[in-house]
Amino acid sequence: MTQFGTWQPKIRGRLYYNWPRGTCEEALRFTGSEQLGLEPYDLVIIGAGVVGCGLAYQLSQYELRVLLVDRLHDVGEGTSKANSAIIHTGYDAKPGTLESELLQEARAAWPDLAARLKIPVDPIGGIMLAVTDEQERQLVAAEKNAHANHATDVRILSAAEIREREPNASPDVRGGLLVPGESLGDPFMASIAYAEVALANGVDILLGTGIAGVELGQAPGAPLHHLVTDDGHRLPARRIINAAGLGSRRLADGYGGGAFDINPRRGQFVLFDKCARSLVRHMLLPMPSAHTKGVLVSPTIFGNLLAGPTAEDLPLGDPEATHTTVEGIRRVMEGGSRLVDGLAQQPVIATYAGARCSCNQGSYVIRYNDGAPGVVTVTGVRSTGLTTSNSLARHLVDGMQKELGLELSSDTVALDARPESAWPGWWRRPFEDRPPDARADHGCAVCFCEVISEGEIRDALDSPIRPRTMDALKRRTRALMGRCQGFDCQVPLAELVSGHTGIGIEQLTNNGPGSELVAPGQAVRPEEVSA
Amino acid sequence: MNNEVHFKVAIIGGGPAGIGAAVGLAKRGVGPVILIERRGEVGGTPMGYRKKPGGVPTFVEWTRGRVVFGEELAGRLTKRLAQTGTTIRLSTQVTKIYPAEKRLTLLGPEGLEDILVDAVVLAAGAREQTPAEKGWLAGARTARVGFTRHVTGWLDRHGLLPARKPIVVGSDLIAYSAAAKLCALGSDEPVMIDQRRSPEASFFERLFFRRWTRPDWSGGVSTVEIKGHGSPTHLESSNGREWQGDGVIICGQLVPNTELALMAGMAVDLPSRQLQLARGQTLSQPGWFAAGNVLGGFHGAQWCYFNGCSVARSVARFL
Repeated sequence: MTQFGTWQPKIRGRLYYNWPRGTCEEALRFTGSEQLGLEPYDLVIIGAGVVGCGLAYQLSQYELRVLLVDRLHDVGEGTSKANSAIIHTGYDAKPGTLESELLQEARAAWPDLAARLKIPVDPIGGIMLAVTDEQERQLVAAEKNAHANHATDVRILSAAEIREREPNASPDVRGGLLVPGESLGDPFMASIAYAEVALANGVDILLGTGIAGVELGQAPGAPLHHLVTDDGHRLPARRIINAAGLGSRRLADGYGGGAFDINPRRGQFVLFDKCARSLVRHMLLPMPSAHTKGVLVSPTIFGNLLAGPTAEDLPLGDPEATHTTVEGIRRVMEGGSRLVDGLAQQPVIATYAGARCSCNQGSYVIRYNDGAPGVVTVTGVRSTGLTTSNSLARHLVDGMQKELGLELSSDTVALDARPESAWPGWWRRPFEDRPPDARADHGCAVCFCEVISEGEIRDALDSPIRPRTMDALKRRTRALMGRCQGFDCQVPLAELVSGHTGIGIEQLTNNGPGSELVAPGQAVRPEEVSA
Repeated sequence: MNNEVHFKVAIIGGGPAGIGAAVGLAKRGVGPVILIERRGEVGGTPMGYRKKPGGVPTFVEWTRGRVVFGEELAGRLTKRLAQTGTTIRLSTQVTKIYPAEKRLTLLGPEGLEDILVDAVVLAAGAREQTPAEKGWLAGARTARVGFTRHVTGWLDRHGLLPARKPIVVGSDLIAYSAAAKLCALGSDEPVMIDQRRSPEASFFERLFFRRWTRPDWSGGVSTVEIKGHGSPTHLESSNGREWQGDGVIICGQLVPNTELALMAGMAVDLPSRQLQLARGQTLSQPGWFAAGNVLGGFHGAQWCYFNGCSVARSVARFL
């Protein structure tokens, strides 16, 4: 029987963090490319968001030498972490597009995928609400569009039917569109699960490592390229996949990739306390405009209530693309209140912003042999990236077979699932499920708001990707994510991490070097440390 | 669950108010009483304010007419608690409440445990308002945007400065005490900002802390954004003012921990989270009482203790 709360598979891949000495265990620290072996990689994926991780998982099913590299300090740390976390049915996609095709494939595959990889998903369904006469008239076309996308269970509801299902819907609601298949998902766990299985299957993962440029090989046929990291290490690669999201343009400049323009489209969100969860039963969606899908109000899989996002186009490289603004939050509250009565009376616990990878050349831009043989660009994956992460990966693997001559032979011992013990504690409630091997520290809460135990934190620290930042821990366990936002648990949690990993408490960071929890450059004065 | 243990009174929270309730109930001969504390020690917030050379005493002990370290005050209270014969559960949290049968589910190191009670005293204290709850503070989500609780945690437990050039948001007694602690242990003179025109702390309170700190005060700010990547570099207000700093401490403006009351179906005002109270600090259902900072507002530790003692009178009358 697997040990409760931890998944410690035989790990065939190598995992390194490119961090300064002292900020992670020496065995995890990247010091040079020789740690990764001398053999060139068959494929290097740049960008460990949900797209890159999904692809790494898919490729790990074959006998290939693969490296997944990201400049950030955990998988799924960029755009993939700050969104509305919806598993879309694709009812509103433009029929006939690649996006629509991938969404349809994903719709059929998600229940099995989630069950295998242990990604929490809740199919609560959605209702698109029309609050003006004009929007009411658009419902018929929206229903027709859904049916064209083979979402045949989508149907129009009258105002009375909506009132029955959603007593707190705004009194202005004229009618709506019921979308039974829309699901809530855990946005963090998808990237993590893909990456954990990929690592176990032998994919190497290098985090905290930016790619400064690409040295293209000149040999005819299948040249050997080299990726050059920010601190000058060279990584040999036969094929390169640019899944760098907002960083994809700068990277593509390094290999002479074709024209496309990326803009961060900022989405601000307001997160409400769990006591607000009962306000709605479905995810409530506004009628979309030409520019954006608009501000929705939805429960989260974690049991909170969420409103957002805004849609603000910012210039590429804007350092404030993930900052919230007082004005933006006001607009989210205003938008949410158009759909739900009494939203403004609910207690807010946090606000956040994410930047979607918006591409002027359309969504899902995929180019093979882009600029050089063996280079693939995948960009413009916007709100549907979580949903299509697996179907897109399959599509890319097919494409690389055809366009890049990638030869595949199945890895017969590769895993395609995580065991029951990999479910996050908040989802399966360790003590209430009473597994026989639960330890006493599974009963000692460290995060009081979310009731997350010391045991769950230790289990997460020992999980395959070896999370070593507070943000990486919070995405895996939900500690620090509750209504007090770390008021009670930040310092005790840091003590726990330091005690379990041996990293000095003054070295711990929120999300990697440069985000230390205390003013950097201090040494612990031992006489001041209390027991 | 079988063999549920029965207690006359459950006190939720082992801070000054909870200890006060336990002492008050013991004086009136009410028992058995159980005190449930989610942290590993009783004493509550003052316990985090350690006595150390060069430190700043911030807790007023009115009965002795002097200002002491929180740890000293909490230590005296826990001694009184030890004499009461109260059953104490540490590292234990109430996770479920069945109000009709007055049953509580506790989660602790031994696992889950159900208890039956006749009355409950909610003494769960309060926490500091988060930036999102304030509504006027937005911007980057960086490291080192913390609370006064983190100042005491880092300084008193580890001797580490949470910021070298702190920006204190808020201007009440808690904000001044945080600024004083930081200065006393080696930070630069903090910047202090608030939406109020003049500081919330009284003249005499400010005078007391002048020995350690004279914060660089900016009142009447409008909306403010935190700037920086990874760590904060400065704050910027919508009317063009800017303050440099490498850490932001959010102080005061306490939010009562009334989640358990909500879970039990008591009347709680939202979004303020204030309890709706009747006479004798009774909640909206019989047998439920509240004491200390969970009542709302900001009260000193000794006030909370005496408030806990006095709620025992209402509890005893109810029983």
